[in-house]
Amino acid sequence: MADGAALEGYWLPGISEAPAERLEHEERAFGPGRVPIRVPVLTPRLLRSQLSALRDGTDRLRAWRSARIVEVIGAASRRLVEPGSPLREHLVEVMPELTGYSRPMIEIGLERMGDGWTAGALRRALEGELGSTEVLDEFRPRPGGGSCRAFGPALTFHVFSGNIPGVAVSSLIRALCVKSASFGKTAAGEPYLAVCFCRALAEEDAELAGCLAVSHWPGGSTDLEAVALEEAEAVVVYGSDETVADIGARVPPSTRLHAYPNRVGVAVVSRRALTSKAAPTLVRALASDVVMFDQQGCVSPHAIYVQRGGAVAPLELAERLADALVDLAERIPRGPPSAGESSLIHQLRAQAEMRGATVFASQRGTDWTVILEERSGFEPSPLNRVIQVHPIDDLSEALTLLRPVGRHLQTVALAADPSEVGDLAGELGAVGATRIVAPGEAPWPRSDWHHDGRFQYLDLVRFVDLEA
Amino acid sequence: MREGEEPRAEILRFIRRGAADDEIAFRHLALSVFEFQFAENEPYRRFCERRGVSAGSLSDPFEIPAVPTAAFKEAALICGGPENAEIAFRTSGTTQGPERRGTHYVRDPKLYEAAAISSFRRFVVPEVSRIRVVILGPGPQLAPDSSLTWMLERIRREFGTAGSGFYVDEDGLMTEALLGVLAASEQEGQAIALLGTAAAFAHLIEFLGGRGQHFRLPPGSRAMETGGFKGLRREIPRDEFYAALTRTFGLSEFYCVAEYGMTELCSQFYDNVLRERSLGRSPELRFKVAPRWVRTRVVDAETLEPLPYGAVGVLRHYDLANLYSVMAIQTDDLGVAVDGGFEILGRATGSELRGCSIAMDQWLTAQR
Repeated sequence: MADGAALEGYWLPGISEAPAERLEHEERAFGPGRVPIRVPVLTPRLLRSQLSALRDGTDRLRAWRSARIVEVIGAASRRLVEPGSPLREHLVEVMPELTGYSRPMIEIGLERMGDGWTAGALRRALEGELGSTEVLDEFRPRPGGGSCRAFGPALTFHVFSGNIPGVAVSSLIRALCVKSASFGKTAAGEPYLAVCFCRALAEEDAELAGCLAVSHWPGGSTDLEAVALEEAEAVVVYGSDETVADIGARVPPSTRLHAYPNRVGVAVVSRRALTSKAAPTLVRALASDVVMFDQQGCVSPHAIYVQRGGAVAPLELAERLADALVDLAERIPRGPPSAGESSLIHQLRAQAEMRGATVFASQRGTDWTVILEERSGFEPSPLNRVIQVHPIDDLSEALTLLRPVGRHLQTVALAADPSEVGDLAGELGAVGATRIVAPGEAPWPRSDWHHDGRFQYLDLVRFVDLEA
Repeated sequence: MREGEEPRAEILRFIRRGAADDEIAFRHLALSVFEFQFAENEPYRRFCERRGVSAGSLSDPFEIPAVPTAAFKEAALICGGPENAEIAFRTSGTTQGPERRGTHYVRDPKLYEAAAISSFRRFVVPEVSRIRVVILGPGPQLAPDSSLTWMLERIRREFGTAGSGFYVDEDGLMTEALLGVLAASEQEGQAIALLGTAAAFAHLIEFLGGRGQHFRLPPGSRAMETGGFKGLRREIPRDEFYAALTRTFGLSEFYCVAEYGMTELCSQFYDNVLRERSLGRSPELRFKVAPRWVRTRVVDAETLEPLPYGAVGVLRHYDLANLYSVMAIQTDDLGVAVDGGFEILGRATGSELRGCSIAMDQWLTAQR
């Protein structure tokens, strides 16, 4: 990238090459670094012609073997995440300014998310849900006779959120794996990674890359959204409850909506996991869950429920957690918060302090905060590395405290004795959790996870039964 | 002599008459207020001690630890404890539900009253001694714990002519009665002062607009609005609001003054424009001016370090009239310092939190 030159923030193979349509562009500044990004000024007519090209792409995709698609995606994603590859080096340069995440955070994020984009991981996830990838290619016999074949949507429209880089790429990959062409509308908070994935894919195979289109338009462009919502067979939305409800209300009844609204995560620590020997590793793992993506993920913990009576008391755990956060603040610095975020953290720290909580906090600024206190209910964290530690006597107290927020609950990082895990996981699931993991793994869902308890591929496809 | 009595008398004198050198007087008084609060205000003392600050350890009043407003939700920040409070003002507590309202315990209403009256006179009625005060808000009976209502009642008593009063009852804004008041003022040529929240003004403007009613209030009439647009369907841009205000009531913009106050402070801030106009000047910029017994600093929201003119940060106030609670208050109001005062740019609520992890505000809304 030449100094000052704007980045190309779109991938629109269906129209940028059509000479008849002269595309106008505008430059807008994105992210804390005010990075100039060039995006086309889309009109409903231009968008319609791009979407029509994508539908043609789906027709061509249906002739591909699914296993081959997965191979090509795996090769493309290597270009995105493999150290030394030009695209990856470009990304670690520009993403911090664009997203506000520090460079080490972007590097770790690309590496870990890339694990889920390899051909092997994708094949396992597809096979886990569909039994085999062949069912996407041809009619496969069913146990009770007859056969069936799975079809992806003729066109999938994705509305991305800006909090976690990479989620947009995963979303496009999933649709591609079920042979659906996609249009992705990027968020202002992360307008670029999905575009780079398309470029990487184009370097591997132009036809596949022609099945994706990505661009950005300002919020409230309802005319463009109306076109996309009308043309798509499936709509995937990531974002706040408000965004999801807004888009959801405009999705035609015949179109399938896949919504990923607000979720919260927590950690639960049994006293039996708090042995002197296990504590150092556990503390590092919990701290890392808090630090990754500065707690902006739906998987990030807001609070840690710690059972009293372990070899390490809740106060000591909180202190050690603070030490670990200091250490991580140096190795993986937090991104710059907005004035509102900083102010809220200062206010909440003082509020907790006045309530009698024990507050461990960065000396200057709001880099990290640990608030230790008993609470009678669940309170969300203001995020940006503010973690609440709540001592409990009995693990069932955590279940009681979480029950009112069950429908928002997603990931629970659980540290317990192996003999307790099964029962506890069952109870957490009954409360509403959809993912229970070991501390340290919260930010990194497996490629075959049930996101918010749903199928990732199976939900996208439609089966055609052949009863003959 | 009762402890704290000496700063009290000096502060009252300072509020009412000023000092030979206001700057020196402020610094001297601020440090003695801090000594007093450190001795008498238990939760505040502990707050300071945790920050390594104690009585006698400071020589710069701007190093006095500032308490974030949210602390008023959890602790009784009053010298001598809440049993000494004459009044307990509560914050309106919009997003956090009724159980999380902040309380400002006021031990000495005289200080509050002196501050309120002195500022109102200076910035809202500098050239008149009495005027018909028409308040678009509930009276003390209906809103016993509102600091705004309490202040407006003091103002009504001090400056109001007969017929002054509150025009909100159990059913809301008394629009028909207000219509009569506005028409009478216009016909009889008697100037009035309309005081109320921006939301109440917006409501009245909408009501009058719906009837095609416009007024040309007589010269000397004025409006004072405060407190944003809570409870309205949408926030109205300020320019649009002031245009509607001048159009509906026939007021010059110089006679439309915004007040900025908060439950946690005994003192208020007003726009400079009416006072400047009364001195024969035509101010080009509208901004808030702190009274002489208050200092306002704009600090960096992250580091809490002071910012230069023109930089956006959060406002921190040092209010001598808060003698019996906490003088140094850290707000979450975004603002920018200008020559002679400051501008307010809204609240730093953190509601712009990114992403799919649930945001505080949405959460609290969902839980209501």
